[in-house]
Amino acid sequence: MTPTAPPTLTSTGIACFFAMGTRVELHRFGPGDEDALMLAQRAIEAVDDALTIHRPSAATALNEALLAGREVAVDDPVLFDALIEIDAAQGLTLGLFDPTADAQRATGWRDVRIDAVARRVAVTRPVALDFGGFGKGFALDRAAAALRAAGVSSALLSAGESSIVVVGEHPLGGGWPFAIPDPLRPERELVEVELNDEAMSISSTVGAGTLAPDRAAMIRPGDASVVSAARCAVVIDRSGSHAEMLSTALIVAADDEVARLTGGARRFLFDLAPVESARMCV
Amino acid sequence: MTDKDFDLTRRSFIDRVLMATAGAAMSAATPWAAMAAGAQTPGTGKVRLGVIGTGDRGRALIQNIGKTRNCMVAAICDTYAPNIVKAQQWVPAGTPTFADHRAMLDAKGLDAVVIATPLNRHAQHSMDAFDAGLHVWCEKAMARTIADCGAMVRKSQDSRKVLQIGHQRMFHPTYLNALRRVKAGEIGTITQIRASWHRNNSWRRPVPADSNDRRINWRLYRESSAGLMTELATHQLQVGNWFLDAVPTRVLGSGSICYWKDGREVYDHVALIYEYAGGRKFIYTSLLNNARYGCEEQIQGSKGSIEPELGRIYQEIPPKTLALQRMQADVKRGHKRTVPIGGATWFPELPVTTPGDSLGWGEYDETMLQFEGFGEAVRSGRPLPGLLYQAYNASVASLLGEQAMDKGEALTWPTGLVTI
Repeated sequence: MTPTAPPTLTSTGIACFFAMGTRVELHRFGPGDEDALMLAQRAIEAVDDALTIHRPSAATALNEALLAGREVAVDDPVLFDALIEIDAAQGLTLGLFDPTADAQRATGWRDVRIDAVARRVAVTRPVALDFGGFGKGFALDRAAAALRAAGVSSALLSAGESSIVVVGEHPLGGGWPFAIPDPLRPERELVEVELNDEAMSISSTVGAGTLAPDRAAMIRPGDASVVSAARCAVVIDRSGSHAEMLSTALIVAADDEVARLTGGARRFLFDLAPVESARMCV
Repeated sequence: MTDKDFDLTRRSFIDRVLMATAGAAMSAATPWAAMAAGAQTPGTGKVRLGVIGTGDRGRALIQNIGKTRNCMVAAICDTYAPNIVKAQQWVPAGTPTFADHRAMLDAKGLDAVVIATPLNRHAQHSMDAFDAGLHVWCEKAMARTIADCGAMVRKSQDSRKVLQIGHQRMFHPTYLNALRRVKAGEIGTITQIRASWHRNNSWRRPVPADSNDRRINWRLYRESSAGLMTELATHQLQVGNWFLDAVPTRVLGSGSICYWKDGREVYDHVALIYEYAGGRKFIYTSLLNNARYGCEEQIQGSKGSIEPELGRIYQEIPPKTLALQRMQADVKRGHKRTVPIGGATWFPELPVTTPGDSLGWGEYDETMLQFEGFGEAVRSGRPLPGLLYQAYNASVASLLGEQAMDKGEALTWPTGLVTI
């Protein structure tokens, strides 16, 4: 019996819009509810509305209270879910993803107390939260969930092409192949990967994307130092938010921490300068 | 600098001018440049120039005339005695001095005059010189009114004497090279030139006890100047006309005394749009309280840009084909291919900061070359072709811009200008 090729799924819609400070693209293929893309877009915009610190939001209201040292109830469900997820991932990232990291203040996630039952947050000293390095992956996870719930079995979701989530297999079958170029020398490829119902996050301290307005520096939690080395991290994970937090953690990690973060998983860190001594940790 | 060094520098400067203006397209666009650069005929006696106006600009001109091979300063004239004293260090001892330009003209012994007086005096000084049978080199802008600019042109034509206006950019190797690259199509179709001359100073000079404000600060008063338009914009309007190979069809603008409210009458802040055929535009701003963007003409074409003051040419970055769009096309034709993403490929539309390439610098003073060209024109009795056309249109454009701002209306290019 000759094996039959998987059926090709045709494109059933694209949504392109601006959110979270970048260009978001949602590409769906094959069957699913008609309004699937719209629901996915709404999910992303809801995350943007809740987590942005560049306009009034639930996050800025929370920051205002935390900077004043006040305990506060978190009514926004998206913001609350984000806090719970970040808190749960502290072990995963060795504490190296820290939304409180601030070069001006020696603060840390250790200063934040979350009461998951009462849905309240308190701090032991004034802090402000920045959801960069988390928000795009978190948003794409929720959008992917919306697509799956709407019956979509093949889709690609991108936020600025630095955060990718794929739903199911490639429309022509098998994994979704991606090549990641060197941000300093785009003609040079750092790594090629295939995703299958997975997420990928790329973080870098160099390249055109780092020139974007309001782009924050990469800060190492603990000593609050700014990471100036030319580095690029690529992380593949089942969860977009985990991939996002891990790629940020890798960028600020010390050598021993890099080994612990990358062990056995598809996580890559490239030291990009100088070219001759470029290395890859897998 | 030794004479030998000077000759070498001069030779390399002129070589650059000749290289930049070689070829049919450039010789048609800049007929004056090669003729001026090729003009080296010492030995038949230098052209004798009488300089009217020996203030800062006049003295700078005298120094450049001193570097030429075919011109000499034979007399100097200024109504303000301290200016004469300052100028005497740059001319041979015994050079006649005058307080009245008519006395200088009557004294004979000149082939031409160089006029570096306040703008509202240019026309009268030129007319008097033509009447005295002399050729005229006059600082830009030409005159205080469009009518006077036309009268100067007509008088030079009727008297068959050379009238040359000081627009040194037309002799500058960087500008000539920029134009050559435009003619070669390197920056594509030019649709916009954005030009600015921004300074951060009052433009006001201290008034000595033996003079008065209107005499020293003549650029600040409407009787004697159109301010930024005639003293600065004229240069860049000439560049605009030259590179767009046309004169404007219409101008609209807004002017204000916005920052230096010190009794001056001319605008300290101007913003204008000059329209050219085909929808092309020359957008101009000049102000006196911020110098960050300085003096520049940003010549923007479909394939690249040129900034001649910086001496740089930039190529447009071709639009990137978005990787995910390509993925969609691949799937449609049943082709699975690696998607070359990477980092944030959303690029904010910030100004491009690529360094561009050098246009080549002119290390020499192009003002010297325009006087050598003038010297040859005086000797032959024939003006360097193309120069006066450029200068006349630049002066008309600057004065029309002033009128558009004063009236708050868009003004069309005047009909009835003198044909050159």
